[in-house]
Amino acid sequence: MDTPQDVDLNRVWVGVAAQVWRRQPGRIERLVTRVLRSQGLARALLTTPSLLLPWLLASVAVLVAGAAVTAGTGQPVVALAAPGLAAAAVAYAYGPGLDPAWELSRSMAISDRMVLMTRVLAVFGVNAVLALAASAVSGTAAGIALGWLVPMTAVSALALAAATLARSANVGAAAGLAGWAITVLGGQSATGQLDAAVTKSSLVLPYLLFAAGCAAVVLFSSRNPKGTS
Amino acid sequence: MNVEITGLTRRFGRTQAVNGVDLRTGQGVFGLLGPNGAGKTSLLRMMATVIPPSSGSLSLLGRNPAEHRSRQELRRRLGYLPQNLGYYPGFTVVEFVEYFALLKEMPPGRVPAAVAAAVERVGLGDKAKAKMRTLSGGMLRRAGIAQAIVNEPELLLFDEPTAGLDPEQRVEFRTLLREFGRRATVIVSTHLVEDVGAACSEVALMHEGKIAFQGTPDELTARGVGHDSGDAPLERGYSAVLAAARA
Repeated sequence: MDTPQDVDLNRVWVGVAAQVWRRQPGRIERLVTRVLRSQGLARALLTTPSLLLPWLLASVAVLVAGAAVTAGTGQPVVALAAPGLAAAAVAYAYGPGLDPAWELSRSMAISDRMVLMTRVLAVFGVNAVLALAASAVSGTAAGIALGWLVPMTAVSALALAAATLARSANVGAAAGLAGWAITVLGGQSATGQLDAAVTKSSLVLPYLLFAAGCAAVVLFSSRNPKGTS
Repeated sequence: MNVEITGLTRRFGRTQAVNGVDLRTGQGVFGLLGPNGAGKTSLLRMMATVIPPSSGSLSLLGRNPAEHRSRQELRRRLGYLPQNLGYYPGFTVVEFVEYFALLKEMPPGRVPAAVAAAVERVGLGDKAKAKMRTLSGGMLRRAGIAQAIVNEPELLLFDEPTAGLDPEQRVEFRTLLREFGRRATVIVSTHLVEDVGAACSEVALMHEGKIAFQGTPDELTARGVGHDSGDAPLERGYSAVLAAARA
């Protein structure tokens, strides 16, 4: 059969291919896209668990931080420092050390810090759901879920919402940390444990070591790759 | 001028990777040649806004990448293929290209057609739904090129783009370079002198972090007259300039 001369078959084929290959976003992705006002961030959020090794490492670190918070009840500095450990762990897991496409991601219009905030929310959110499910058979899981994972999921969501509204990851991080600090210190003040815990001199060295460790991880995660040629 | 670089340096600890580079170029294909360790990748990474310079000034598409908003605008108009392409093994080719199209903040309605066009353009149509982990090295390189061109960039940066491509694919890739060079600034870092001769209108040769030569491929060839190292005229020019820089 003859083709009319003014038909660009290449273009027609690309149009057909676009329809055939088109990925239909699911209901959750459409909802997240609307909330975050960015389909790129929505994809970054939903693809987080599919990056298996970073996902496992980030989840383990978050659960370890949760265990420390649960065991260190009455030590507000443990609870206050825990989000730092969790954020550093997620930054490392999805950073230059393990994320295979990290260099490419650094050249994208959507800031890598905004993507990191979606990763933090995804790690906490999915782990909270899993821990809540495990709560049915384990009291420890219930403690970690209710005392750490669920509140931190809410804080991460607050941080991401603030970052989306302000279009600034720094604003989001500040909002999230402020929300968490108010929650922890408010609870401690009510029971009168705050002064005793913060001023206990034997805790100064562990706190400093912990802070130094977090800083080292963050510095490593955000280091610039060296050129190879 | 789409690229204006003045006194650019980049230091990694004690290593001076880029040492006072000046470069200006407009539309067309610009080849960046040089031996290993010459600073090509570091220069390209600074242009791709992956790493900041240690000192010097950089203006890309009339924007200063040091400023947050300008950097974001620039990144929407940028295509970058790193030397070591990282990819998510569980993604299909289409998902991979689409993911980066979305991170480049392309209007979502335009993404499916742009992804299909980019995938077809690099000849991966029959692998569009294949997982990235199942692709050969050359196919992965082509998937990387597809993500770089998906947003029809005004500034396109390729680091060793033809590594892993077979001779036929390299010829096709040079055609694609020339097509893009007609409406964008394309900067190609490569070891392969023949790629430069076939596709570039201008070339710079780097040595120890500095530009040792900048001109047309013909001018580089002319530097090789009377020089006996190298099989092709352009290779002789390359060797002659390097020998002079080392001396």
